[in-house]
Amino acid sequence: MLEFRKVTKAYPNGPIALNDVTLSVSQGEFVFVVGQSGAGKTTLTKLLLREEKPTQGQIILNGRDITKMRAGEIPYLRRSIGVVFQDFRLMPNWTVEENVAFAMVVVEASPRLIHRRVAKVLELVGLTHKAKQLPGKLSGGEQQRVALARAIANQPAFVIADEPTGNLDPETAWGIVKLLLEINAAGTTMLMVTHAKQIVDSLRKRVVALEGGCVVRDEERGVYHG
Amino acid sequence: MFTMVKPRTFGYFFQSAGSSLVRNSWMTLASIGTVAVALLVLGVFMLLAVNIGAMAAQVEAQVELTAYLADISSQQRSQLEAELKAIPGVAEVTFVSREEAWQKLLEWYGDNRHFLAGWEDDNPLREAFVVRAESAFRVGEIAAAVARLRGVEEVIYGREIVEQLLSITRAVRGVGIGLTAGLALAAMFIIANTIRITVFARRREISIMRYVGATAWFVRWPFIIEGLVLGLIGAVVASSVLAWGYYFAVRSLAAAIPFWPFVAPWPLLQSLALALLCLGALIGVVGSGMSVRRYLDV
Repeated sequence: MLEFRKVTKAYPNGPIALNDVTLSVSQGEFVFVVGQSGAGKTTLTKLLLREEKPTQGQIILNGRDITKMRAGEIPYLRRSIGVVFQDFRLMPNWTVEENVAFAMVVVEASPRLIHRRVAKVLELVGLTHKAKQLPGKLSGGEQQRVALARAIANQPAFVIADEPTGNLDPETAWGIVKLLLEINAAGTTMLMVTHAKQIVDSLRKRVVALEGGCVVRDEERGVYHG
Repeated sequence: MFTMVKPRTFGYFFQSAGSSLVRNSWMTLASIGTVAVALLVLGVFMLLAVNIGAMAAQVEAQVELTAYLADISSQQRSQLEAELKAIPGVAEVTFVSREEAWQKLLEWYGDNRHFLAGWEDDNPLREAFVVRAESAFRVGEIAAAVARLRGVEEVIYGREIVEQLLSITRAVRGVGIGLTAGLALAAMFIIANTIRITVFARRREISIMRYVGATAWFVRWPFIIEGLVLGLIGAVVASSVLAWGYYFAVRSLAAAIPFWPFVAPWPLLQSLALALLCLGALIGVVGSGMSVRRYLDV
């Protein structure tokens, strides 16, 4: 479903962030992307969301080369991808419910559908009882679960989690990873960019390791360090 | 580029714009105030121009000219009357004696005839022939012919007054439009600045919108609406002040200057308000558009 074909991204007057990366992810896969800071993980995410265009190469998502999309098509690309960030990115003065519903308001879903789906995803992440609370009253793990609920509210086929456990203690982190696995088990393709060695090593999922902008390792049942 | 948005989404847009307006209340007031001042100045000048224009039109519509007579005998006067009637284009010649002229003057002043008190016994008016032309276009040429006749001291007709009034109207309009253009530009920049602050205050929300796949227009609409609302409220303020002011001005001036044909407040104010609303909306939308283009990267 996702394919990077000889993708290179060079920033003007800067280093080469991604160098001739070729990568293929099938529908329903769970992939860890690991590597040190500056290895190109963030660039990978930005290219997928078409925040940036590669200098060379093609990125095929669901049969379409997203590098050739017109500006007007990009919002529709992003609707097919759910994103979770390390810093949650919730609106502090909106309730949990409103934060999740916002993703659906923006794509102009019907109020009935929004109502139904928000209840469903909050139940999935176990926050039904906190629906009316503000994010500030929640723990970090709970906030990340709100962000996750928002990411899947529009039922994307593909979720990118960019260091989703980076700000969480190990126990809470596991809770989030379990949710990601659950979502993945339901058929959603999952790309998790992470530094969490313990999680990667114990799950033994596919691991793509980046170093200096190149894929240095791509193992089916990999570990954090090769 | 201009993607359609579902009607119900506008509820969200207005809510979003409304909360920004309330949050940045000082900038909101400043924006509304500048728009209102700009449109108020325009409105005042337009009302002036319309009223001076009305006077010009009234004078222009008069096909009469008045030939004031020198001190002449009644025989000379009869001869003059015959000569006047012989001028081509003259439809009617009427003699106005000094007494009749006085009576007319009294009528004209109506309730304000006390202004004339003290003059009754010493009538300052002259005898005159009122010459009616067949059409307003020939008044000028007839006036020239009348002025050449012996016994005619002075000829007065509307053309000169009309020209003066029209040139005043043009000047008033020009100054009004110039001032308004400057003020409207200032209003636009203030609105642009207000919207810039809103964009800044909402940068987090905007970035989330982009990640979850909002279209560019979905992101822009609330800001455009915010500018539109600022412009419209400014226009409503300006229109209300103008309407109120015009009613009072006409009421007090109509007594002081009874011969001036003031244009009735209705429907004049209605069309003026409509024009100001359109202009206010335009100022608001262009102002917010400037900021949306520069600061809203979607």
